Amino acid sequence: MTITDLPIISIITFLPLAGAILIAFVPRSSVNAVRAIALGTALLTFVVSLFPLIGYLPDRPGFQYVETVDWIPVFGIQYKVGVDGMSLALVVLTTTLTWISILASLRPITHRVKEFMISFLILEVGMIGVFVALDMFLFYIFWEIVLVPMYLIIGIWGGANRIYATIKFVLYTLVGSLLMLVAILATAYTFADGHGGSFVGAFDYEELRAYAGTGGFVEGFQLLAFLAFFLAFAIKVPMWPFHTWLPDAHVEAPTAGSVILAGILLKLGGYGMIRFSLPLFPDAAHTFAPLIIVLSLIAIIYGAVVALVQPDLKKLVAYSSVSHMGFVTLGIFVFTEQGMNGAIVQMVAHGLITGALFLLVGVIYERTHDRTIAKMGGLSKPVPVFAAVLGFFVFASAGLPGLAGFVGEFLVLLGAFDYSPWVAAVAAFCMILGAGYLLWMFQRAAFGDVSDFLRSLGSHLTDMRPVEVLTLVPLATLTVVFGLLPGLLLVLISGTVDGVLSDVAGGGAVNLAFWR
Amino acid sequence: MTFNDVLPLAPVVAVVLAAAAVLVVDLAWPGRSAPALVTTFVGLGIAAALVVVTGATPADAFRGAYTVDAFTTFIDVLLIGIVVLTILFAPDYLEPRDLPIAEFAALMMFALSGAMLIAGSTDLLLLFLGLELMVLPGYLLAGFAKRDALSTEGAIKYFLLGSFSSAIFLFGLAYVWGLTGTTSIGGVAAELGVMVESAGISAGLALGLALLTTGVAFKIAAVPFHYWTPDAYQGSPTPVTGYLSTLPKVGAFALILRLFVEALGPVSEEWAVVFVLLAALTMTVGNLIALTQDNVKRMLAYSSIAHTGYMMVGLAAYANGQVEGLEGLLYYGAAYAFMNLGAFAVVAALQKRRGVTSSLATFAGLGRREPLLGVLMTLFLLSLVGIPPTAGFFAKAYIILAAVEAGGVLSFLAVLMVLNAAAAAFYYLRVVVYMFMREPETEAPALSHGGLVWVGLFAATILTIGLGLLPGPIIESVQDAASALL
Repeated sequence: MTITDLPIISIITFLPLAGAILIAFVPRSSVNAVRAIALGTALLTFVVSLFPLIGYLPDRPGFQYVETVDWIPVFGIQYKVGVDGMSLALVVLTTTLTWISILASLRPITHRVKEFMISFLILEVGMIGVFVALDMFLFYIFWEIVLVPMYLIIGIWGGANRIYATIKFVLYTLVGSLLMLVAILATAYTFADGHGGSFVGAFDYEELRAYAGTGGFVEGFQLLAFLAFFLAFAIKVPMWPFHTWLPDAHVEAPTAGSVILAGILLKLGGYGMIRFSLPLFPDAAHTFAPLIIVLSLIAIIYGAVVALVQPDLKKLVAYSSVSHMGFVTLGIFVFTEQGMNGAIVQMVAHGLITGALFLLVGVIYERTHDRTIAKMGGLSKPVPVFAAVLGFFVFASAGLPGLAGFVGEFLVLLGAFDYSPWVAAVAAFCMILGAGYLLWMFQRAAFGDVSDFLRSLGSHLTDMRPVEVLTLVPLATLTVVFGLLPGLLLVLISGTVDGVLSDVAGGGAVNLAFWR
Repeated sequence: MTFNDVLPLAPVVAVVLAAAAVLVVDLAWPGRSAPALVTTFVGLGIAAALVVVTGATPADAFRGAYTVDAFTTFIDVLLIGIVVLTILFAPDYLEPRDLPIAEFAALMMFALSGAMLIAGSTDLLLLFLGLELMVLPGYLLAGFAKRDALSTEGAIKYFLLGSFSSAIFLFGLAYVWGLTGTTSIGGVAAELGVMVESAGISAGLALGLALLTTGVAFKIAAVPFHYWTPDAYQGSPTPVTGYLSTLPKVGAFALILRLFVEALGPVSEEWAVVFVLLAALTMTVGNLIALTQDNVKRMLAYSSIAHTGYMMVGLAAYANGQVEGLEGLLYYGAAYAFMNLGAFAVVAALQKRRGVTSSLATFAGLGRREPLLGVLMTLFLLSLVGIPPTAGFFAKAYIILAAVEAGGVLSFLAVLMVLNAAAAAFYYLRVVVYMFMREPETEAPALSHGGLVWVGLFAATILTIGLGLLPGPIIESVQDAASALL
């Protein structure tokens, strides 16, 4: 028996659930056992998630490691999972950030540790599931499962205003995703209707994609279904003007929650657009692309400008996410190879870099209990290691060449240039703006005289502990590796990008004037 | 009347006999709950077994007035399940308040026999008889805490509006009978078919339809005929509230399916429009008012109105030509019954100590005080919101699928339904906020709950998760049940 005979994708998906169930049986008082099991499960999941990477054949089109089991045959609903290059990259990103987040929460999370770890592991199940599901119904289930643990993580372990933030997060996401449910069911029905009323394959992603390729979904339907999917994804990304939940959620969430929120949950939106919106509804995608590109540019500019004036460190990073994710949606909807490649690389890079920035915010907050940039100043003197690491990730986030963030944004710009030089020019201008707010923040926080506030903390202001360094080293390493050798990632995702682009190329914009 | 007539009725007879037996047992051992409970569960067990046995062979009885088919069996099993769960949850609440458990169980079983009669009725008179038999014990149950003014007030409101609506309903039946000259459901359908074919809708028929619709809208608490619900629900003892929000609702929907789908099938275009409007109004108004409630029982009461609205979407989808609408409605009924009973059971369990109210503040800190109860409540609430992988999610998806298939105005109803579900998330999750994210103002001690409560809670949990994860078998049952109706 070889490794390919094992249901490896299911194992990766449900390993964290096994850990969560195990933790449920550990007595509440054995806090360290709970922590050990959680960390162990996350590390094990991470290691196992590397296996499919080894045997993955990037040249083969379609999905690999596919597992199919009939689940609700009456409606053709299957348990079907599998990966392609993009989902594999995002799965590994998920498993990486999860163990790092759990490691980073061992110390800060001191009450209800058991519940926290269970929530976190179930969250991981949902996230991996979203990336590997190849059945629309299954996809939706995982998509919603993500919501509940994150709701609890923000609501129970968050900051002072956590309840407002978490309810806002849930309601925003729920409105989008429920409309997507209607669209999923309508898509399945349209498929069944075109197949003599039989629901066989009506929720199967590959079948639906093939059906879309034959022009099975008429234009009017495409426009409506696209909008419903798009709303769900745009809220998750989040695109301007659906972003208002994000600053609240980020600021109130505990560090680990912010890391996962920025690192993975935002990627669910970009992933959904590439996976579903484009191949299933190519005509609608062409129709709405100009509008979405404009929204992306607004997000890029708006996120950067608002970040510029944020007095709060965490809020600054949160708004920078809006700006950076604008590049992702821009790259997706210019429909060029560089743009799409750039969007996926940018998703991975943003996950690594912004995840690290939130970890760093958490590190400093644990010591100062304050995140106001104005109160910092001269951090490089009392905590030189922290300042150095912060500097590294600030430069990475600003898009310093040689680091991962640059590759993604640069590719998106290339792709956007192909689409329209003006779009590229606006986006490029905002990269400068991005460098501006990040470096300004870094300069205010790290250099100059040590502020009175920091002085007053005295010996409380200790430099990073080895564990904290350990959480950041893998992220820094990957940022450098993908910055210098982007080919590693590009080879992996090339199959996905080619497939989606060729599907989209089959579509054309709908003439809205004649559509009624 | 022959033996063959009695056999299909055996489950109903068994329930009535069991109810009588409970009363006798209570006379023999007055005030002791154990013998009464044992009798109840044995009796219900026998009834359930008889339902399954008689359901295996579809049959008519009493010259076609009563029918055993897949629909009857499905509804009967569901109804018995509801009553079993309710009686499991009740003792913990009733005993500290000195309320007699035996009478409670007996009343509930009498109501059950009425609801089961509805499920199998293929005659208008029998339908009405079943309806009255179902709701009369409900009035008594609503006022079961007879020294409690609120309970009495709720019971009186329930009784007045209930009898009023029964009268309206009966008036409507009289019109239908007068126009068609028969009380047999099959006969009514045939006559109406001919009549509509030749002469269209007459004024008398329109009036009859309007009266019937109003009557059933009262019974299922559709907006704007819902005013009795919140007071009756909030005033009743909590286990009774759980019961009132499920059994009479399932029974009334069974009545709608027998009456509107079967007997009034030929005029479905006429009532379809009304049900589309009622569905939209019911779910929206129910949710909007539920948003403002600070009392969990009252919130659940209004939210049960919203769930009625969702189920009516299924009915409207059926009237627009999608049989999936009926299947979805039946699935929703089962899912709703179990998750709602579960939620009410947790409320009742918290109120084990006398004097504890069902206000939101009661739930503060529950997640820490009694983690298991908190987790189960969260599960039921998530299912009521419709988060996968729970029963509530699959049920909603089923109805939405039917609505999307029907297309046209039903698509808008589907969108309205999911927007409502999102709004409902707000008030359901507020309870979770109190349980897990807020600390109580005064520290209440953790309670110890009886074994029966835990048995019932775990049964509700398994059903809530099972109907979401493995819907296959239930889908088959609801498909059989729906095709039996057509």
